[in-house]
Amino acid sequence: MFRMISRHFKEAFQGIFRHFAMAVSSASAVTFTLVLVSLLTLIVGNISQITRNIEESIAIYATIAEEVNEDEIPSLQRQLEKIEGIISVEYSDKDAELDRWIASQGENGEYYESYREDNPLPRAFLIRVASGYSLTAINDRIRQVHGMQDSEFGGVTTENFMKILAGVRRIGYLIIAALTILAIFMISNTIKITIYNRNKEISIMRQVGASNSYIRQPFVIEGMFIGIMGAIIPVIVTIVSYRYVYQEMGGKLLSNVLSLLPVNPFAYQVSAFLVLIGIVVGLIGSFLSVNKYLRWRR
Amino acid sequence: MVHLQNVYKTYKNGVNALNDVSIDIFDGEFVYIIGETGSGKSTFIKLLDGEEIPTKGLVEVNGVNVGKLRFSKVPLYRRNIGVVFQDYRLLERKTVSENIAFALEVINKPRREIRKRVREVLEIIDLADKAKSFPDELSGGQQQRVTIGRAIANKPRILIADEPTGNLDPERSDEIIKLLEKINGNGTTVIMVTHDINLVEKYRKRTIKIEYGHVVSDLKEGGYVHNV
Repeated sequence: MFRMISRHFKEAFQGIFRHFAMAVSSASAVTFTLVLVSLLTLIVGNISQITRNIEESIAIYATIAEEVNEDEIPSLQRQLEKIEGIISVEYSDKDAELDRWIASQGENGEYYESYREDNPLPRAFLIRVASGYSLTAINDRIRQVHGMQDSEFGGVTTENFMKILAGVRRIGYLIIAALTILAIFMISNTIKITIYNRNKEISIMRQVGASNSYIRQPFVIEGMFIGIMGAIIPVIVTIVSYRYVYQEMGGKLLSNVLSLLPVNPFAYQVSAFLVLIGIVVGLIGSFLSVNKYLRWRR
Repeated sequence: MVHLQNVYKTYKNGVNALNDVSIDIFDGEFVYIIGETGSGKSTFIKLLDGEEIPTKGLVEVNGVNVGKLRFSKVPLYRRNIGVVFQDYRLLERKTVSENIAFALEVINKPRREIRKRVREVLEIIDLADKAKSFPDELSGGQQQRVTIGRAIANKPRILIADEPTGNLDPERSDEIIKLLEKINGNGTTVIMVTHDINLVEKYRKRTIKIEYGHVVSDLKEGGYVHNV
């Protein structure tokens, strides 16, 4: 077993050195691809983080009609909890609402203490939702529930912003997928040349009964190694540049809601992801060429 | 034992390479397969080593139905069959003994066993003194002997030689036949495809003639049959 593996590694490295220029050129194609993938992953990762932050800060504020009795509140709460997309419903009575109001008014807040006896504020539910994309729909359903006075949220702008972020994220994924496929073909071409160079050797191996997997392995190792070679520069670029950007921007975009993911572990996770893509791309690329060549014409 | 029963082979391009061929070759036999270029000799070899499957009929080698052999089992099956080609197919960057060892390395034999077997093979093919030479330092006949050595390294039960003397002068051809006879003497079945009439006449053995995909003669006593 060990003998076989060491042989395969030896052959894989021989393959790389025999046509070093070709290996380097396809590794640099992988490098180029992975730098873009890295950039997109950093953006997409942060967009996800920002989306999460916004979602966590979104709440629907639904007020309860005056005529609803105190003992009807639990059943009203249960009705709201049944609406799809709602995570939690928190009841806030008149006192609590006034406290909130006073707190929101800052220094002038004390002035409103006099309303404690004859509190004009309606009772309310603070509702958290699972995602920011269906705010309007959920809001409309809350309004339809009997006993509710009104319901409001951050507004259509929030929802649109979330939709734009989701769109950017989707486009990011698409570009990553397209670039990955491109890199697979680049590696597959390089491996094709190695196979061509070793054509005779392969035909003899087949003739004397070497198994297909035995013939395939050195090429697959070579492909994977080219993938790893291609990932070195993108990893360095990712860690150095993200650290720089993070420090320059103080870890956030404009406000705390739009905070960036910390360098550790995010930049390292992205780096590991890049190496993984390099390996997988090399693996698939070489597999494609070798299988095409080894396909039996029976 | 090789058993072909009513074998037909039609290629995708419509060429009928073999038509209703039935042949039995028994263990330990030495058989010539003769015929013109395009007569179906190469197809016959390809059917035996599992490269092609018959369109119709049965191809059985050592009890294995080669036509029904699963894709992944072909390499294992081939370890029982040695094949020698007219164009040698030696690896130029490897020495004689490395070329022979290669056949054993790729089927993952232990190193000690490989060394021992390579020495034995070098003795059989009478090239012990050239063990460290590279193919381009050898004559055509010597290169062909290395190819034969590589084919028998794994002790196959059947050795198929496709025009092994095609590129050699008569004297070297004699050497090759004698080597094949020696291998045959050790119990290996030898199937030699050739169109060298002189050899067939000189070293008489069972001779099967294929023409236009048909077996037209099968002479146990050997010799070449001219068409009437």
